[in-house]
Parts: sequence; C-alpha cells; structure tokens
Amino acid sequence: MAVINVNSISKSFGKTQAVKEVNFEVEKGRIFGLLGPNGAGKTTAIRMINHIIIPDAGTITINGRKASSQTQKMIGYMPEERGLYKKMKVGEQLIYLARLKGLTYDEARKTTRYWLDRFDASDWYHKKVGELSKGMSQKIQFIATIAHDPDIYIFDEPFSGLDPINSEMLKEIVIELRQKDKTVLFSTHRMEQVEQMCDDICLFNKGQVVLKGNLREIKQSFGKNTVTIEFQGDPTFLDRLEQVRINNRSTNFAEIRVLNGQDIQQILQLAMQHAEIYKFERVEPSLTEIFISTVGEDNINPKELA
Amino acid sequence: MNFHQILLVLKREYVTRLRSRGFIIATILIPLGMLAFIGTGIGIALWDSGAEHTIGVVDKTGALYPRLEKLAGDRYQDLSPLSDDSLDARVLHERIDGYVVLSEAHLRLEENPRFVSSGAGGISLQSSIQSDLQTVIRDERIARAEVSEEVQQIFATGISLSTVKLSPQGEATEDDTGFLTLVGMAMGIIIFGSVLGYGGMLTRSVIEEKTNRIIEVITSSVKPIELLLGKMAGVGALAISQLTFWLASFFALATAAGPLAGILLRSDPGMTTVPEGAGGIDPAIFTMPDISPSLILYFVLFFILGYLLYSSLFAAIGSAVDSETDTQQFMFPIMIPVMIGYFIMFRAMENPDSTLAVAGSLIPFCTPIVMITRIAITDVPFWQISLSILLMIVTFALTMWLSAKIYSVGILSYGNSAGFKELWKWIRE
Repeated sequence: MAVINVNSISKSFGKTQAVKEVNFEVEKGRIFGLLGPNGAGKTTAIRMINHIIIPDAGTITINGRKASSQTQKMIGYMPEERGLYKKMKVGEQLIYLARLKGLTYDEARKTTRYWLDRFDASDWYHKKVGELSKGMSQKIQFIATIAHDPDIYIFDEPFSGLDPINSEMLKEIVIELRQKDKTVLFSTHRMEQVEQMCDDICLFNKGQVVLKGNLREIKQSFGKNTVTIEFQGDPTFLDRLEQVRINNRSTNFAEIRVLNGQDIQQILQLAMQHAEIYKFERVEPSLTEIFISTVGEDNINPKELA
Repeated sequence: MNFHQILLVLKREYVTRLRSRGFIIATILIPLGMLAFIGTGIGIALWDSGAEHTIGVVDKTGALYPRLEKLAGDRYQDLSPLSDDSLDARVLHERIDGYVVLSEAHLRLEENPRFVSSGAGGISLQSSIQSDLQTVIRDERIARAEVSEEVQQIFATGISLSTVKLSPQGEATEDDTGFLTLVGMAMGIIIFGSVLGYGGMLTRSVIEEKTNRIIEVITSSVKPIELLLGKMAGVGALAISQLTFWLASFFALATAAGPLAGILLRSDPGMTTVPEGAGGIDPAIFTMPDISPSLILYFVLFFILGYLLYSSLFAAIGSAVDSETDTQQFMFPIMIPVMIGYFIMFRAMENPDSTLAVAGSLIPFCTPIVMITRIAITDVPFWQISLSILLMIVTFALTMWLSAKIYSVGILSYGNSAGFKELWKWIRE
C-alpha cells in the first residue's frame, strides 16, 4: 500500500489555481522526487500533505489515514523557507521541536543528544542558534527534521541554500534513510540533482501533474536520442545544427536532443570540422529535456528552469 | 484542538522571554523610570511654585500695603515714593515683574486697580494678585465700615469640606474619593499601557517567527490556532508575572516609604508657601487607605479581559506583515479605541457617573480602561459591570475568530506585507 496517497486534490488562492486535480502515490521505502519549475504548485502540494493547508477538493491519506494533526507526527518536514529561533539554545530548541511532534521530554532529550553526537555537534548544546554559522545551523535544521524518527521525510527544495558539505551530508542522510526502509519525498526545480537519487518522480507544471512514474522506465521510454558532447574550440557550430534542441550549453559542453530522426553521425561530423572532440556520447535524455519535451517549449518560462 | 501542544507553545514563549536579558532589565527599569517620571513631575511643580515674583506697590491709601505684606509679604514690595516713569523703567529692566498703583478710588470701588507688567508670571500670577487685592480691599472696607465683631467674623468664614461616604451597609465611612481617584487612574493607565506594551510584544513575537522562517517548521506540528492561543497565553502569563512583581514591590515600598514621604513633604518649605485652604496637601493622603479586595479582583479581571481582547488583534497584525516597520497602517485602527478609552478615563475620573463615562465603560474596546476607573471611584451598578463583561466576552469571541482567520493565512505568506484588501480576502476565505 502507498504510504502517501494523493487523490485528485485541488487548491486555489483567490483567483489563482495553485494545484489542480493532482494524483500521485508514494510507495514505502522509495525516494520520490516532485519536480517542476518554480510556481508549479510543488510547495502547495507538500503543504497539503503536511496538513498545513487544507485542499479545496480531494483527499490525502498518510499510511491509510486521512491527513490530520495525527499524521503530521509521522512526517519529518523540512520546508523551503526554513529557520530556527535565533535566541533559543540549540538543545532546548531541538527538544521543543521534538516534543511538538509528540515525544516525551526524556525521549526528546535522548534523541537530541544522539543526533548532536552523530554530527560532532555536542558542544553546541548550550549555544544559541544565532551564534552558529550558517552551515552549522543547517545541520541543526536536519536534526530538527529527523530527530523524532518518523516514517516519512519530506524535504522541500532541500538543496537550495545549502553549502556543498551539507549538500553531500543530506544526500548521505537520504540514502541512509532509504536503507532503513523509510520513505522520502522531496521537491526541487533543479532536475539534475535528483537524477542520481530518485526512484520515482512526478513532474509538475502549472499546478498539474504532466508526467509520473519510475525514473528508469520514463528515461528508457524516451530512448537514447540525446547526445552529450565535450569539445575544445569554436562553439558556434552548435548554432548551425538543425532539428535539435540544445540544453545545458556551456563553452565546451552541450547536451543535444535529436529531433525528427536527424542523423547523429552528421552532428559528429560537423563538430569534428570545427572543434576538437573530447567526448561524444549517445545517452538517455536528461530530466530537464524530458520535462521540456513533455510540456512543450512554448509552455515554459525558460527562466523558471534554472 | 490539542491542549498539550498549546501548553508546549505557552511554556516556550513564557520561559524564553522571562529569561531574556531585555525582559529582566525592563522589569527593573520601567518602575524606576516611572518613579523618575513622577519625581520629575513633583520636582517641576515644587520648583515652579517656588518661583518668586516681585510686584511693586504704590499705596496712596496707606492702609492696603500693610495688609498685602501680611498676606503675602514676599511677593509685594512697597515702592510708594516712586513715580510711574521710574516704575515703568524698573519693569523694563526686569527689576520688578510689575506694579500696581492703589488709591482711595479703588477702595471706594470707583475704579479697578491697574496691573502693569512685563508679561512675566502669566495668568497664574495675575489671578493671585487679583485675589490678593480682592482680599485686602474687602478687609479694609470691612474695617472701615465699623461693623460689629460678629459681622467681621462672618466675613472671615472659611469653609473646608469634610467628606463622608455612605457604604452599602449604611455606615458612614471616611471618604477616600481623592485617593481612590488616583488608584482608579493608575489602574486605568496600567491597563492602557499593558494592552499596548504586551500587545506589541506579541506582534514582535509573531513577526520574529516569520522572519526567522521557523513558522513553517512549527506549523507542520501545531495548528495555527493552537500556536496563536499558546503565544497569547504565554505573553499573558508573562504580563501577569511582571505585574505581580511590580505590585508586590510597590506595596512593599509604599508601606515603608508612605509615612516617610508624608513627613518629608510636610516639612518641605516649597509646600508651606501654598496658602491655607487653597490646595494644601492633606498628609493623610500618604497613609495608604485600604483598597478593597473586590477592586483588586476587578482589576485583574479587566486586565485579563482587556489583554485578551486586544492581544489576538496584535498577533493578527504581526502575521499580516513582513517586518516591524510595516505594522503602522494596522496599528492605527487599533490605537484609536485605546486612545478614546484613555481620554474617556480622564473624564470619568472627574465625573464617574456621567453619560460619557457610562457609555465608555460599556464599549468593549474602552471597557477595561474606563470601567476600572469608575469602579475604583464610585459604586457602579452591578448590571453595568456584568453587561460590560458580557459584551467584552462576546467581542473577544469575535476578534479571536477574526484574528485566527488572518493569522492562519498570514503566517505562511512571505515576501510582502498584506494590505487591508488582502486581510478582508483572508477573512472571507
């Protein structure tokens, strides 16, 4: 049975419809990615799963129970807009947050100690959060999310604002959680970040689900119709290619989606005439490419896909 | 609604604030500040009443100056030999503040005395001179009229009111109206200040959770209404603790310092210059008359009701804005009823049973400030008290509902402060 079951939920704020008839299921022990550009309705959907806002229509069940303040305790949630009480001490704060999730004082203190030890942060117990560096308070934020040992973890844009060390740490935590058969859902508009981590994905655009399923199967169904090329030399030849779409372009790299049966060998020949080729590989399309070809280029504000 | 969650929020709000350095400093400094404020007021009054003015008198009757000298010798100076020109010169050189030329015509009331001055002393000096002249001219006329001793005594009659207040038990008790008016005013002002002070604290507390971006973490565990109630109760508990501390230290100080202040002020030279019967301070005011327990009970009740009524609104303001500087436009409509209540309170002190005072004490937003002042001074009919409490509870239910609506939407909207139009939309949602 699905751990999170989202059943045709809709939500409007005034005249804007943020989420429209959305369905998806998250299976136990999987890492589930909720993808889409900014403003696609991901955060609204996540807030509804967390019972922070209530859907106008549709139902959400968590472990078979309707979303409520009871199901909130089964979830560890790290919102996109995150922070801590700056004037409160680290230890007190973590205990307070864990107790709000239903732990007793003793349980909360024990788990706080445990996690602070694990992150080599025991010395911070009596420090005020305002005295910590940004990277340190990000660690405290992780602990606050996971300390009550829930079954389900929801991270909204978890990598935004994280320093590289904490980004790696978060990835490790997520993978460790999956090994413990926990369920993880996270959202991001940076598609390439999730490619390595997600089992299942759900693509959002303009409040609706445009594509969902197992990431491997989705990629395979698109076929190996993409080329990644690494080169040294004049990159303007890329502009002369026809029947292609170029994503992820930089001075010596490009990801080329081949359209309408354009011959890949011709691309290679053209490239060889203008630049020194280091690498030329035929691959499955990236998630960004899948997203673009699913919703159509006209339906995307290019700035939203950072 | 989960009571356990509310309690957790309450405790955090209370404990972290109670321990904060700012709170401890404020608890100590605010009473000291008030003492300094009152002290400065008394100091100014003493210094002011001690200001000396010298009025030159040219007495052509020969009878009036001695009487003036007897009445207020340090104000008047006999300048009889001088001419008008040299008197004018003295006024212009500020050697005297003014002069009066008195003649037989004034004694016969054919002419009004003329006071020539540089304008110094203002209206209070003029009225003192007028009343002094009235006294001496009247006395001189009585003396000249050669009326009997008896009639002279009649004219010398001085009346002072000895006041007695009838208690419901029918016994005549000593009237403390003067003292109780002060108590009523103090209570009204305390409630007024608390509503604004603790309300502002709650606004800042809500804004803090928004700007720290912790609010969404909290709302994934706690319902907005639980958070709101917990915060209101936490700051409320803080208010009561602080007030208890202040009142306790006030009574302790008053018991010790009251008699002392009485002795000091009685022997103060600045005070003795005030003429008898013209507002001389009764030393009895410094011995603390009893404040009835029911008055204290009502004070606590109206304090709590007033806090509840306003605090939810202050929390709603905090949730609607993105930074403290944006609170102004919303503070204004809340400040209006508070200020109206504050002004009605001063009218109610003078006339606690006037229509304005009664009406003001029944308007829920003014009730806590006005009603407590009335209760302190006069016997407010029980139906008025119960009606005002009932109205406050009903209004509280309404503002609470309104605030909860605004709060639950407001806390999750970041980025910009809402306007009145948005608030209305949130309420209707």
